[in-house]
Amino acid sequence: MLFSTIRFIGNGWIEDFYIEPDFHFSYYGFGWLPYPSPSLIYALFAGLVVFSVLIVCGLFYRLAAIGFFIVFTYIELLDKSTYLNHYYYVTLISFLLIFLPANRCFSLDVFFGMKKKSETVAAWHLGILKFQIGVVYCFAGLAKLNSDWLFNAQPLKMWLHTAHHWPLVGPLMTQDWVAYVFSWTGCLFDLSIVFFLLSRRTRIYAYGFVVIFHLLTWLLFPIGVFPWVMIVGTTIFLSENFHRKVLQGITSFWPGRSQISASLIENIRPSLKIITVSLLSVYVLFQLTFPLRGYFYPGDIFWTESGYRFSWRVMLMEKAGSAYFYLRDPETGKETEVSPGEHLTALQEKQMSSQPDMILQFAGHLQKKYADTVITTGHSTFRMRNPEVYAEVYVALNGRRSQLYVSKSRNLMAINNDLSPRIWLEEFKE
Amino acid sequence: MLENVASAVIIPSYETMNSALESLHTNAIAFSANVDATTLSNLRAAFVDAYIQFQHSKMFNFGPAEDYGVKAAMDTYPTDTASIEANITAGSYILGSAANIDAIGLPALDYLLYFGGDMEVLDQFTTAPAAANRKIYLTDLTLKMKSEFQPVVDQWNGTYAATFQEADGVDVGSSTSLLFNEFVQDIELLKNAQIGIPGGQFSGGEPLQEMVSAYFSGQSKTLALENISGLLNCFKGANGLGFDDYILDVQGEDAQTDLAADITAQFVLIEAKLNALGSVFSEDVMTNYSGFNAAFLEIKKLVTYTKTDMASLLGLLVTYSDSDGD
Repeated sequence: MLFSTIRFIGNGWIEDFYIEPDFHFSYYGFGWLPYPSPSLIYALFAGLVVFSVLIVCGLFYRLAAIGFFIVFTYIELLDKSTYLNHYYYVTLISFLLIFLPANRCFSLDVFFGMKKKSETVAAWHLGILKFQIGVVYCFAGLAKLNSDWLFNAQPLKMWLHTAHHWPLVGPLMTQDWVAYVFSWTGCLFDLSIVFFLLSRRTRIYAYGFVVIFHLLTWLLFPIGVFPWVMIVGTTIFLSENFHRKVLQGITSFWPGRSQISASLIENIRPSLKIITVSLLSVYVLFQLTFPLRGYFYPGDIFWTESGYRFSWRVMLMEKAGSAYFYLRDPETGKETEVSPGEHLTALQEKQMSSQPDMILQFAGHLQKKYADTVITTGHSTFRMRNPEVYAEVYVALNGRRSQLYVSKSRNLMAINNDLSPRIWLEEFKE
Repeated sequence: MLENVASAVIIPSYETMNSALESLHTNAIAFSANVDATTLSNLRAAFVDAYIQFQHSKMFNFGPAEDYGVKAAMDTYPTDTASIEANITAGSYILGSAANIDAIGLPALDYLLYFGGDMEVLDQFTTAPAAANRKIYLTDLTLKMKSEFQPVVDQWNGTYAATFQEADGVDVGSSTSLLFNEFVQDIELLKNAQIGIPGGQFSGGEPLQEMVSAYFSGQSKTLALENISGLLNCFKGANGLGFDDYILDVQGEDAQTDLAADITAQFVLIEAKLNALGSVFSEDVMTNYSGFNAAFLEIKKLVTYTKTDMASLLGLLVTYSDSDGD
């Protein structure tokens, strides 16, 4: 987290993503969140750095964990054009960290005597983290069970092609069979890796696969820190013995070195049992069902994207669009084209051009911005009272040619931007 | 592909543009030394030639060209005739200032050399009160263009060609990505600035004749056609490896549709639609909404093909967001 935050700041992304745009794509149900001023945004990111340092050191641990979770989630909720599955993962893990006693041992809280030292953790503490990682892999694997991925090796065929200039392996990456091998291996890996990690006998080999798999994806695709998050995260599956050795290794540099006791895992204290178990069940149930909602919508989920976010659909599709917007004044019938680039950043425009909810949000933004204004181009001026907004959008999905996505015949202002099926989209042709 | 595009497309177009600007400046000096119908006619010919050459090199607006801000300095229009006149009257100005961006470049020359009939133009450079200043302004403009373009060519002939070829791959910042982004952006510029805005697409259907390119010389149709042929030449890598070959390579031989062929065909279709328009856009646009609309729609289709189908297939990211006007 610390690394990721610093990377975000270092890349100048605060400016690009959160300050430069004058319009932000809020999440459904979160439109009420106030948008922070530029200086507050910098302060929030600084806060993230401080909180993550505190978490790592184990100082004021619980407060820091709560702070990190709230600030990180708040920033993520500001604009969905920056949505990434691994940010959602960080949100969930930081939420769980609030309830985990990761400051019990080897922390400054213990060092300063603010927390009684304990070298053990409860079984559920590890269990819930393993569960969360298992959810990510299993749903990612399930999502790969689609015809594009398995039978067309798309989008991997196209993506691997971008490595064609690499020395030695370059020519290999352009071979169709290589794309199929990657597709099927990736799918089997996601579906099965958790079970191999859980089994004592296969665990160490499975972890080897995790490292190789994620290093490969890191080399091949521009997916940021996600591979590293998973490589470190999955160490939770490794044996107590491994973690004890690591701790001992680090402790040997620590003043007043301590012995790490034999067993690190204890059972839950009986008094806490009922409440813990019920809260855990709610969390587990949510994690197991929420990603499935996409399957209940009609149509192709890649096309409609109903239930696509927050469901571990990772690196699954190549989708790009061109969106042309038009304002029409119903009184005079006069119409004018509007370039999205005048109102959005390149990233926002790219995301918006192929995502239905964002197309509607942007249309709503244009409507508000141009209502009761005079549009001036050259010597021409005309007044828009209550403009209707239309869009003509073309989308190309997984190597297919582009096809009509939104027809210009629909007044976008007449469509509710909600969770109902998106019947206003044109039909997807295979 | 990069090697061929650099050596067969970009560098030759830059060389031609460079000598066109040299000739433009030489003719401007000859004209101001001896203002008459012949030198004016020579200067105008050099001007049209430079403007045409520019349509073949403006889409390479990255690397050295971007560093020197060539595209905006050469071709921001409509030109601001009032501030040109104010500069001339004042006799002192900073041509590189942001305020003067629409008082310089080829559109400013377009105004100076074509604002009225031949006699009117010659009078402004001979008997009018500010004639001396006007001659200086003219040669200052041509000198500025020439001296700003020279280093761009020098860098391409020097180290930049190798830099360009070494930045392979398709990541943001790679040469293919830069080339592609400027290529698509220039098509959008053609769609919006050269055809759409004058044709009324951004003004509720009202045509705006003063918004055409090269308004005073009436060369807008020639420029649009040259621009399309320059873009096609870039797409095809002249006669060597270009985007078309790259697309063929990625989509494979068993592909059901041929994107490269469709894009090439779309270029040809646009050319036909442009050819069908009247020769002076500023006049034709007032009466021929349907003709301009037809050309506009075909260029839009080309934008979709490149910005969506081609970007998606080649794994290229559109990284620009300003798409309206120069």
